[in-house]
Amino acid sequence: MTALIEIAAPASGRRPKGVGGRWGLLLLPALALLAVLFLVPLGLMAWRSVTDPAPGLGNYSWFFTSDVALATLVRTLAVGAVVTLVTLLLSYPYAYLMTVVSTRARIWLTLLVLLPFWTSLMVRTFAWVVLLQDSGVVNQLLGTVGMGPLQLIRTQAGVVIGMTQVLMPFMVLPLYAVMSGIDRRLLDAAQGMGARPVTAFLRVFVPLSLPGVGAGALTVFITSLGFYVTPALLGSPDQALISQQIFTQVNGLLAWGRGGAMGVVLLAVTLVLLGLVGFVLRFTRTRGGVR
Amino acid sequence: MPKKTGRTVVNVAACGALLLALTACSGGAPAARDIDLGPGPAAAGTVKKGALDGVTLTFASYGGIYQDGQETAAVKPFATESGAQVLSDGPTDYTKLKAQVDSGNVTWDVVDTDAIWAERQCGKLLMPLDTTIVDTSKLPKDMVGKCSVPAMTYGMVLMYDKSKFGANPPKDWADFFDTAKYPGKRAIPGVASDAAPGPLEAALIADGIAPDKLFPLDVDRGLKKLTSVRSSLVFWDTGARSQQLLESGEVSMAMVWTGRAYSAVKNGAKFAPQWNQFMPVSDSLAVPKNTKNPKASMALINYYLGADQQAKLTELTSYSPINSEAEPKLDALASEYVTSAPERQAQAIKLDNTWWAQNQEQIIQKWSDWLAN
Repeated sequence: MTALIEIAAPASGRRPKGVGGRWGLLLLPALALLAVLFLVPLGLMAWRSVTDPAPGLGNYSWFFTSDVALATLVRTLAVGAVVTLVTLLLSYPYAYLMTVVSTRARIWLTLLVLLPFWTSLMVRTFAWVVLLQDSGVVNQLLGTVGMGPLQLIRTQAGVVIGMTQVLMPFMVLPLYAVMSGIDRRLLDAAQGMGARPVTAFLRVFVPLSLPGVGAGALTVFITSLGFYVTPALLGSPDQALISQQIFTQVNGLLAWGRGGAMGVVLLAVTLVLLGLVGFVLRFTRTRGGVR
Repeated sequence: MPKKTGRTVVNVAACGALLLALTACSGGAPAARDIDLGPGPAAAGTVKKGALDGVTLTFASYGGIYQDGQETAAVKPFATESGAQVLSDGPTDYTKLKAQVDSGNVTWDVVDTDAIWAERQCGKLLMPLDTTIVDTSKLPKDMVGKCSVPAMTYGMVLMYDKSKFGANPPKDWADFFDTAKYPGKRAIPGVASDAAPGPLEAALIADGIAPDKLFPLDVDRGLKKLTSVRSSLVFWDTGARSQQLLESGEVSMAMVWTGRAYSAVKNGAKFAPQWNQFMPVSDSLAVPKNTKNPKASMALINYYLGADQQAKLTELTSYSPINSEAEPKLDALASEYVTSAPERQAQAIKLDNTWWAQNQEQIIQKWSDWLAN
């Protein structure tokens, strides 16, 4: 998790010292693997986006003039933002709880997050289909308390619920990693200086936990941009995310150039957002004087 | 780049190329010209004993009970009789097939695919049928393509909830679109990457076009009609999902494949079919271009089309046989869903697969845009 936190908060003034000497060689196998399995295909995809079916930027001009493609991109970013927010709201108290309970309870809380994490995404998503469908358990429970059946599946809400559950570990774990390192005596000190518990929490604990929030939020948001199975099963076609549109182009129309262009645009948007977040974090850190 | 590294890169590349060349030379023996399938015209369902000794083929299909049935009914007996070793793969994936053909490394010898797609890719990704090896005389003429034969047939049928509309069942696609008279949700296929016959035809008929004047399809008019009932539509993307929608009773009507309709009813779904205006469709068997052993692939297809093989396939999968001489033994419920029966065929809407093949690309774009909006 430290690595993630470093990515999210590169401005602590500490630069990782150069991977010195011969130990750097240990990186080579991993780098070779990345190059062959990641960079080469990525390069081919980008190359295809400007050569297939004809050389030029036709695929990109198609993308930026297609209302549907643009709407899908915006929708993908919006869903990612909502999922990140919901995940954060659920995970923050959970991770906090993990830092205050006994070791035994903490193990249980960790397992509770990790067990679903180890279950196949497909299986979990199908489980949500069964739970959320009109005649499903959730709606039956809602019925017994007098709330009419809600349309949960084939809606944006269903997609958000499913994605949140899948992505929660990516938020809880970095949050816990940072929160467990926060020195509680700082809170005591704040209260000793006359702060009420809530004030101490908001002004001392929350700022100190921000690196975890940044790391978690970033991981969740970026992962959410590539979701395919969950929106395909829990959403409806009019809520399609960009990965589903890419699938349509690549598999249905065999328009690999367009699919490639969509992939490149998604990658570019993600990188720009990453840069923005890095900038904002650096800004708030220097201004807020955290750490 | 320093010189030394440059040379290493070249060396590695050369070794890689050598390795590729070596693997390309091995395998696939004996070569296509060595195969002797025997004298005389081919007869569906037969293959010369031992003709394919030492040949390895790969059969790709959609998996599940369908592919299991295909293997038991045709592929395994073919392997036993011909001496070929037949491997299975799947599910059929257009992207994978394109990658194989484009790279010249075709590992699928016979592929079960969508009929319209096969027509569209004829000569591009698929090779023409060798009619000296494949006997098509027992197949419906209008279903045999230049590059493909039907693998079985089924239909897109209107299913309705018996508990709701049992007393006054919907009679046609116009009723399917009449949400005032028949309230409730409707399931229709909704795969963005695969616009296929069904929703557009039904919508146009409901909008007043005579079933025999459907083609060329007025796609925009069809989509407009679909928009008018959009809030009542539920889209299914796989056969399994359509079946689940029937079994959970989430919809009151559905446009589904007959095989799935049968399975759902067998599992207790309170649904019944309205056969009027059902749309017959088929899967197709085809051979990818640049396959290593086209003769052997064609021989497998020819064997698959035999009456006995087709009858067995129907018994195992509930899809309807494509060979007119096939006589499957079915229980009462399964025979209710056989689409090849003459009385059913009389109620069928004729689809124009050639038109679909010529226009599918544009339709997919419009269809996926419509779905995403």
